[in-house]
Amino acid sequence: MTSSSVPSRKVLSKIASNRLQKEVMEWQTNPPAGFKYKVNDSLQRWIIEVTGAPGTLYTGETYQLQVDFPEHYPMEAPQVIFIPPAPLHPHIYSNGHICLDILYDSWSPAMTVSSVCISILSMLSSSPAKERPADNDRYVRNCRNGRSPKETRWWFHDDKV
Amino acid sequence: MKVKILQWHAVGSWTWDAQDETCGICRMAFDGCCPDCKFPGDDCPLIWGVCNHAYHLHCILKWVNSQNSTPHCPMCRREWQFKA
Repeated sequence: MTSSSVPSRKVLSKIASNRLQKEVMEWQTNPPAGFKYKVNDSLQRWIIEVTGAPGTLYTGETYQLQVDFPEHYPMEAPQVIFIPPAPLHPHIYSNGHICLDILYDSWSPAMTVSSVCISILSMLSSSPAKERPADNDRYVRNCRNGRSPKETRWWFHDDKV
Repeated sequence: MKVKILQWHAVGSWTWDAQDETCGICRMAFDGCCPDCKFPGDDCPLIWGVCNHAYHLHCILKWVNSQNSTPHCPMCRREWQFKA
């Protein structure tokens, strides 16, 4: 049995570490509204605090995102999950996995941590109800060996939220 | 008045004729080079897609080669085809 909840800790490629250093600098001068990231030693794992936007179901609530970068970032998407307790949302599972196409099939190397954060906040903000996905329990049970959400075969059917 | 030129220095400069200043993939300056190269210029050229988005050749090749299905432009998501 292998666990992949901790992405393989291969060192970042040159292009990956170069780009992440630029993203750190860009974040420091121009952080996305609603997000806080404290630079630490690890370029490869970012812990980001997100605060629910005013006027939404999550106003004032704070959650933590964990972003892990693969060796070949940005050719490969980062793994982005909420550290439980994850917000109650129809596309967010209780184990923190997020059903959002840009994190998987629709990733593009022109996207950045910052643009991903904005997409996640927008997904939270458009939530119609604080509830779990209908298949939450089954999905979370299937992931209990520590499967990464990047190994899930997602299907994206709801473009309203 | 007659002027006699005894000595002169010529200085040339070059720049890539791209609309952006940085490569959308590696975020390095177009007038610099991709992170895997040491020198800008012909050794690390830019390349355009038919959609008119430009990238370092080395960067877009890494992206195109990493895709199992039809590759798309990182910026506009149109099908990626090299501009002739």
